[in-house]
Amino acid sequence: MAKKQASHAHKKNRNVGIVGIGQTEYSSHKEYQNQAEMINEGIRAALADAGLKLSDIDCVVHGNMELFEMVHQPDMWHELGTGAFGKPQFRITTGGTTGATLVCAADNLVASGMYDVVMVIGFEKLQEGHTTGGITNMADPLWFRHLQTGALTATTATRMISEFGEERAKKASMRYRIMMDKHACLNPRAHRRFGLEYDQMEDLMNTSPMLVGELRLIHMCSQSDGCCVMILASEERAKQITNKPVWIRDHITVHREENINIFGLKIPETTHHCAARKLYARNAITDPITYFNVFEMYDPSSWWGLDWLREFFLLKGDEHITMLENGDWDMDGRVPLNPSGGVISTNPIGATAMLRPAEVALQIRGDAGQHQLRHEVRHGLASGFGGTFWTVLMMLEKELGW
Amino acid sequence: MAEYFGSKVEDIFNTMPARFLPQGVAGVDVVIGYDISGEGGGRWTVTIRDATLAVAAVAELPKCSVVLISDPETFVGSALGKIDAAEAFGAGKIKFTGDITAVLNVLPKAFSPFKPVVRAGAIIESMPERFKPEKAEGVNLKIGYDLSGADGGAWTMLIKDGTCTLKNGLDSDCTVTMRMAADVFVGLNTGKIDPAAAFGGGQVKIEGDIMAAGTTAKLFGKFEAAGAQEKKGEELISLKCIPTINQRFATGTHMGKWFAGLKDKRIVGTRCPQCHRVLVPPSEVCAICRVRTDDFVEVGPKATVCLIDTVYYASPDPLSGQVRHTPYAGAYMVFDGGTPYESFAMEINPKDMDRIKPGMKVRPVWNTERSGTFTDLLYFEIDD
Repeated sequence: MAKKQASHAHKKNRNVGIVGIGQTEYSSHKEYQNQAEMINEGIRAALADAGLKLSDIDCVVHGNMELFEMVHQPDMWHELGTGAFGKPQFRITTGGTTGATLVCAADNLVASGMYDVVMVIGFEKLQEGHTTGGITNMADPLWFRHLQTGALTATTATRMISEFGEERAKKASMRYRIMMDKHACLNPRAHRRFGLEYDQMEDLMNTSPMLVGELRLIHMCSQSDGCCVMILASEERAKQITNKPVWIRDHITVHREENINIFGLKIPETTHHCAARKLYARNAITDPITYFNVFEMYDPSSWWGLDWLREFFLLKGDEHITMLENGDWDMDGRVPLNPSGGVISTNPIGATAMLRPAEVALQIRGDAGQHQLRHEVRHGLASGFGGTFWTVLMMLEKELGW
Repeated sequence: MAEYFGSKVEDIFNTMPARFLPQGVAGVDVVIGYDISGEGGGRWTVTIRDATLAVAAVAELPKCSVVLISDPETFVGSALGKIDAAEAFGAGKIKFTGDITAVLNVLPKAFSPFKPVVRAGAIIESMPERFKPEKAEGVNLKIGYDLSGADGGAWTMLIKDGTCTLKNGLDSDCTVTMRMAADVFVGLNTGKIDPAAAFGGGQVKIEGDIMAAGTTAKLFGKFEAAGAQEKKGEELISLKCIPTINQRFATGTHMGKWFAGLKDKRIVGTRCPQCHRVLVPPSEVCAICRVRTDDFVEVGPKATVCLIDTVYYASPDPLSGQVRHTPYAGAYMVFDGGTPYESFAMEINPKDMDRIKPGMKVRPVWNTERSGTFTDLLYFEIDD
């Protein structure tokens, strides 16, 4: 039970552990499977990982960005693949954060005592839809839909170039990109594994096609097909199911207005910073850089990813860039960032934000395979991002009793 | 010349005149340069102007609208769909200098897809695989092929004891020797040239046992060009549809006042009674203070530019469904009388795209016909 939690921590009725993780491989297209078949592959992998049968699952939580594939009631459509017939089922869509929200919801369902074992399904089959068209057509219809360019913007690139100088900012962003590719190359499930080398930095900075301003194609995340499934259980059941459950300690969701109004003459506190500040305060984390052994961040582009490190770790000035230049975010650095390769390499949107806690859990268990960190991972951080700056931030632990 | 996936770089350029679609390039005026370095590569220019095409191999590239830089394998692989072109861009294996929209928007409409050029050598070299031993019982033949022309060559094929072996060069003791231009041989094998006409018209010369030559056809399966067989094996069924949905939204109180303001060329916001920030467009609640904001204020209409986004990616315009014309610029700005933390986003007059800078003052340009909708405000332009 959560007896040692600080009084200001968010109230949890009982502890919740991750007991099963299943993933498909991720790619730009999976014509050989329909959506239900693809999900089924993830479910079988998660059940096998947990050593459970479908009959052990009390409730199913299902999510994706429905308007990308333009199918209503996808949970019903996928029933043959999910095996959810006769079980309570919830369908959740919160944009890019969907995958993270799914895990938060499942955590709440188990922590509340409502269900003991919940299966969470996050997936996307972007080949069957149109991401940029979908985001654009879903934007606020009264104001901004006519201006939206999908998820593409160079606002952060422009700001970083003006804050840190063109050469340092561009090099740092490309260094971040190549670091992520090097991590992705260690992950056999990752969608894009280019084999980039640091000596390509200058070349890519100048020749990769521009999408918006200094946001170039190489900086931006992929559109992927794939599915991630997690099984969450109450402390009592988790300990029966596996000898290495990963505990969900706390999570927070932060967002503001729908309109993108944060690019004024002065910069308000970002949702990432607000989420981190509040989450660390209520869990008495004073030095997140030292505390966390791994961070799986939802990094839609190498500009955003690099900039957001400052927000999530409450850093000042150019600390995040200096840390990058020092290799502190590398696999063997102070806080290894996205050993999986992150979102730039793999982005099946409804599963993307779920892969963050899933990959942290694999690191804590020691089951990440080729991209397993060499040092012990006890405390992990995972973020989700979506919409007009929505943030989900989650803490995961190897041991109870924090 | 080196081949990649069975094709040469020059095949792509040599087939362009045959693949050109003049109806797809009305009003287009571009010079696309290609710099394909590596074995079998080279430099080419493709000029499309007045719905006509000119393709030239060049030693040095002149000034082009855009230059595509790649290696031969990536270039040929992308043209054939063997390599994912978008991923090749991403990996820096295909690069552009200049206006990439010229390539993205023009090329798909200017040419039908490239298909591998069938070469005589490929047909002959596939013959042992297409050989049907069950039809060759008792057959003992030595057939010579002497094909003239750029893709020509000489081969000798021995059919004996139910086996078929091929070697380069022409033996002198062939049962029958067939001499023709390589492209005639390709035409005969791909069904594009009528055999009776070719033999009768003297395009094919046969030396030796003419009767033996006539029996060879049944000994081999039909030649199929590379790629054709893969297509045939396709069993996946997919459905393609483009939905169009007309929608009508109620504005609510605050956005109703916003649109009413636009009709009168006024920019309306709401001021938070607690933090005093001005929300534009107006919002019913301040999300920071979580209180109602019913105090309507007029701001602008002039504003100060904070950030500029120049968009090169041609996303679909949800109002028309058409692909947007690129590049275009949008700006985040703060209205006179607004709050420095609160930006407003809008497009910039295309004529100002090259001059617009952060810190500049801009003014709205209104539609002459205003009906209280988002098209009332066209864009902002530099206020000088």
